[in-house]
Amino acid sequence: MTNMIDICGLCKSYGDVQAVRDLTFSVREGELFAFLGENGAGKSTTINIICTALAKDSGTVTVCGADIDREAERVRKAIGVVYQGSRLDGPLSVWDNLESRAALYGITGAEFRARVAELAERLDFQELLRRPLRKLSGGQRRRIDIARALLHRPRLLILDEPTTGLDPQTRKLLWQVVEDLRREEGLTVFLTTHYMEEAAQADSVIILDRGSIAAQGTPLELKNAWTGDHITLYNVSAGEVARLGLPAEELRDAFRITVPNTAAATELILAHPEIFRDYEIIKGCMDDVFLNVTGRNLEGGEGK
Amino acid sequence: MKTFSVLLRRNMRLFFRDKGMFFTSLITPAILLVLYVTFLGDVYRDSFVMNLPAALPVPEKLLDGLVAGQLISSILAVSCVTVAFCSNFLMVQDKALGTATDLRVSPVRASTLSVAYYVSTLAVTLIICFCAAGLCFGYAAVAGWYLSLADTVRLLCDVVLLVLFGTALSSVINFFLSSQGQISAVGTIVSSGYGFICGAYMPISSFGEGLQKVISFLPGTYGTALVRTHAMQGAVAELHSLGLPETETEQIMLAMDMRIRFFGNTVPEPVMYLILGGVTAVLILVYVLLNKLKKR
Repeated sequence: MTNMIDICGLCKSYGDVQAVRDLTFSVREGELFAFLGENGAGKSTTINIICTALAKDSGTVTVCGADIDREAERVRKAIGVVYQGSRLDGPLSVWDNLESRAALYGITGAEFRARVAELAERLDFQELLRRPLRKLSGGQRRRIDIARALLHRPRLLILDEPTTGLDPQTRKLLWQVVEDLRREEGLTVFLTTHYMEEAAQADSVIILDRGSIAAQGTPLELKNAWTGDHITLYNVSAGEVARLGLPAEELRDAFRITVPNTAAATELILAHPEIFRDYEIIKGCMDDVFLNVTGRNLEGGEGK
Repeated sequence: MKTFSVLLRRNMRLFFRDKGMFFTSLITPAILLVLYVTFLGDVYRDSFVMNLPAALPVPEKLLDGLVAGQLISSILAVSCVTVAFCSNFLMVQDKALGTATDLRVSPVRASTLSVAYYVSTLAVTLIICFCAAGLCFGYAAVAGWYLSLADTVRLLCDVVLLVLFGTALSSVINFFLSSQGQISAVGTIVSSGYGFICGAYMPISSFGEGLQKVISFLPGTYGTALVRTHAMQGAVAELHSLGLPETETEQIMLAMDMRIRFFGNTVPEPVMYLILGGVTAVLILVYVLLNKLKKR
């Protein structure tokens, strides 16, 4: 499988502030790639560089095989971007907005009408076409932003916190459309999000901390590396739990014990079968991964 | 070409959808005309009466025609530039709202985007300035019409040239702005200052010699001189035909900035066109180059 994005030694500073420090990573064609980090971690800077909207200080960035410095036009034809906030024209109708953006890619006339019809059906905004953008709700506007990004059939879709503030229905629709496009057209998706359950669906995840890569891998690899397993014990007394000799969190009608991994959980259960009569084991979630990696909450602060 | 025309349509739609902006731009020349007539009409008229030989029988209509010529030339000379600054807000607004980034991450050429901004501002400013010219012609027709057909056509050409100049100047200046506050500040400065430095509010001939020399280097001066010449030369010729001597006619033309001196030499009309046209072409080139060389 070829790489859709190749970044090597990317650096970018704003004055004395180093926003991105020596980033090196790749995104494979067709994958859903999640790029996580706190505000100010360098996500938007990296996205703006990939989009050719911002110049880098050093390093190389290749998108769809095209170097962003030497072949910017090829890069721009290959990418579609959904920004955090809408960048479309509020006073104009949805149709006028899409028409002006499609023209940027040379899509006009019958070709434009056909593409808008297709996207309007896919994203369910046929009835919104003649309405001014500023009169639409947040969810409706988001659908138009996505349509704008997809107008020219990009090979790489960049979603910068696309679901922040959206209602569950619109979030579901958005992810359904993205999944359909990945399946039908092999679309590669580069996602930044604050919702860890969205990141958990990714094929590959990078966690950025203060401009550098703090962790990377598949969600499972990250969970195995950065979180433990949670065992929830039901129908046991506090005394029984104390016999395990591990710190336990008391829940409303259960106790929760955290162990380093599944092997440790198995060992514990086999050693105390009389206590483990009614229990469940859950792997740590992406929230735990993020908190552990960025070192803000667990296990002594500055990460493992 | 299709991309360009769609972008042009987008820019113009955005201007006309903003009703406040459109009507403010449209009403400004009308307000200026009312203010001029109310506060400066009599001052201009008295000045003419004082400077004309007492023995010369000047009909009231001709005096009104002279005053109207001076007033409408001042309004048009100022409006063509200030309205251009007012209309040329979209380029900055797109930057402030992040729309410019959305446009620039597409494969469209930077020059196509910049020329679309220029042409849309030009078209909008022309529409408003032609409306202002219509209003001014209406006022001149009521006060005293002494414009020949040729002068009327030349005056309209001057408006086009000044709008081209004003749009190019505002495009270069606005290129460096990135917020709506900045564009408001620049608009205010231009609206209040340009009328003085181009000789629209006060004839340049009434300034000190040093200031006159400095102002003679500014291209707007020649735009005002062209507009004033074509708005007033019919009425001045009528004065001459009534018996005003050649030297005094020439003095009036100098006093009214219908003749501009550059270090003692009178600048001929074709040279004024050349200066204004040349500066406009250079400004457009600078604007396109700025956009082309703009760092990401």
